[in-house]
Amino acid sequence: MTLKEKLEILADSAKYDVSCSSSGSARKNKNGIGNGAISGICHSFSSDGRCISLLKILMTNCCIFDCKYCINRKSNQVRRAIFTPEEIASITINFYKRNYIEGLFLSSGIIKSPDYTMEKMIETISLLRNKYHFNGYIHAKAIPGASEYLIQKLGLLVDRLSANIELPTENGLTLLAPDKNTSKVTEIMSFVKKKKSKIFTPAGQSTQMIIGATNETDLDIMSKSSNLYQTYQLKRVFYSAYIAVNKDKNLPSIKMPPLKRENRLYQADWLLRYYNFKVDDLLEKDNPNFNVLLDPKADWALRHLEEFPKEINKASYYDLVKVPGIGPTGAKKIISSRRFFTIHFSDLKKMGISLKRAKYFILCDGKYFANISCFQKSFITSNLILEEKEEKKESVTQLSLFYEGK
Amino acid sequence: MKESNFTYIYDGTWEELLKVISWLFKEKRKPFQIIEETQYENNLLSPPFKPVINIKTLTLKKYISKEVLKISYYVFLSNEKDKELIIYYFLLNSLKYQKNVLYMRNLKCVNTALTISKRVSREAHKWKGFLRFKEIQNHIFYAEFTADNNILGILANHFKKRLPKERWIIKDEKRDILCLYDQKNCYFLEGKEIELDLKQNTEEKNMEELWKSFFKTIAIKERVNKKCQQNFMTKKKRKNILEMEDEQ
Repeated sequence: MTLKEKLEILADSAKYDVSCSSSGSARKNKNGIGNGAISGICHSFSSDGRCISLLKILMTNCCIFDCKYCINRKSNQVRRAIFTPEEIASITINFYKRNYIEGLFLSSGIIKSPDYTMEKMIETISLLRNKYHFNGYIHAKAIPGASEYLIQKLGLLVDRLSANIELPTENGLTLLAPDKNTSKVTEIMSFVKKKKSKIFTPAGQSTQMIIGATNETDLDIMSKSSNLYQTYQLKRVFYSAYIAVNKDKNLPSIKMPPLKRENRLYQADWLLRYYNFKVDDLLEKDNPNFNVLLDPKADWALRHLEEFPKEINKASYYDLVKVPGIGPTGAKKIISSRRFFTIHFSDLKKMGISLKRAKYFILCDGKYFANISCFQKSFITSNLILEEKEEKKESVTQLSLFYEGK
Repeated sequence: MKESNFTYIYDGTWEELLKVISWLFKEKRKPFQIIEETQYENNLLSPPFKPVINIKTLTLKKYISKEVLKISYYVFLSNEKDKELIIYYFLLNSLKYQKNVLYMRNLKCVNTALTISKRVSREAHKWKGFLRFKEIQNHIFYAEFTADNNILGILANHFKKRLPKERWIIKDEKRDILCLYDQKNCYFLEGKEIELDLKQNTEEKNMEELWKSFFKTIAIKERVNKKCQQNFMTKKKRKNILEMEDEQ
């Protein structure tokens, strides 16, 4: 098998892992090659529109597990390959020198045992760090069930560690991944949380959940995320719309991955992390799924119209970030600017704050963007939905074009 | 003729521009225009004026914060017409308001300076990712890019930290200027000053093929969204991005 064939097999089986972020680490170049960029750098964008910043590969796609949703499950008849540590190190360095990538994302199927797999991964990454003196970004998967001393060793070599929780409930996991259990994943998370420092996973840890493979609601998913953020101080939870790669009686037979749902979950995830929203604000037991027509913040605002319109020149930071269309950056700009002058609609535009959604929910120096009689739920709702449709139209055309071409 | 009608001339360098602006502040003169010597075209209404400046140390830097200076420098790197005048007014206001100037978006010159500086730093950030080196003769890594603003210096600085043990050349195609790095220092040259042998060997071609195949493989077919891809990698940039060469 040529190196190119191997890379094709092992990149193809790694592509379902969503995370490709290279931010959060400011690793310095110590007499070698490469460094971290705290903001992260995207090096390319694949035809699905996702950013490529890391060489995302599996060490091997051989696996002793038989997870129903996974392309690499042991009962699948697929081509298998394994990279040697030297091969991975050499491709990483060669790609890095040409500025194709920001670093390496190394994951793996489980061969022999979790410990054996981890040892092989550590060998590879040690080679990069110690022989090639590579100081670029490295994200590694921790293998659930591996011994603590190995996670300790790996954590000292990489910028980010992650362990995938895969499904929001234990039931879902038992159904689809009989060899896995949630506690093995959370054990890793609490260990990483305890050890995290400037030299141990400086960019923190993340995880991933598959969306739409089991029948959990958005409320189940968001509650799980919120819990993970609080308990393990995760940097990110990634959501991956389920793509039917295998057939199984326990798996739904859907043709299209639920991309809109995934999008809504990401929007809500940001609201939890940066906007001080709680899961209960966004969803309730009687209404456990997000509105497909409106983004979660606009949907929330429309249900709480009594709190609006907010005066831009007076509202607190926490009130400002609740306005649809205004984020933490915008709110900070508003607060630091209004000490010096009274903000009008035209000033907001200058600050780079989009008024597309915001204008319906704010007053600038006592003035509404239109006649104040327009400040009504029906008027605002229909306008916001129109905005969303415009955006949606574009993405739908894209998808259908692809399917016709196939 | 009134002093405010003059077009002030400088040699096109950042240091010299700061000197001219300091001098204008000191003399309490308002420029009609400040322009690089080579760009000046005769204008009856605004005669040229080249101030004779005897400042060795620049006092202006003492009164202006690093952040304001950095923003001004990024404006200087932009392709904006009248960027010198924008910098003049931005610095004038920052003398008056000190650090608070960064929040005075209601002042036109401040808003313009901040917007332009952001544009430059965004463009530089994108090219930090999109730049593609290829190994040419004598183990030199070579890359070309096309950008609106003059970001070669920012890129050179970035790769100096990142690839300090390689020898590389980065070329700004639009301006026809290059930066050479010899494992120690950066040298900036004009295109005509150097002749390059851009031949690649088979090994390099194989490496490029390896990258292209990774790039194709990593996309998820069920999620194809070329519009989204294009939003991030605009057509203008594609001719310098190896994996997009076939897809222009």
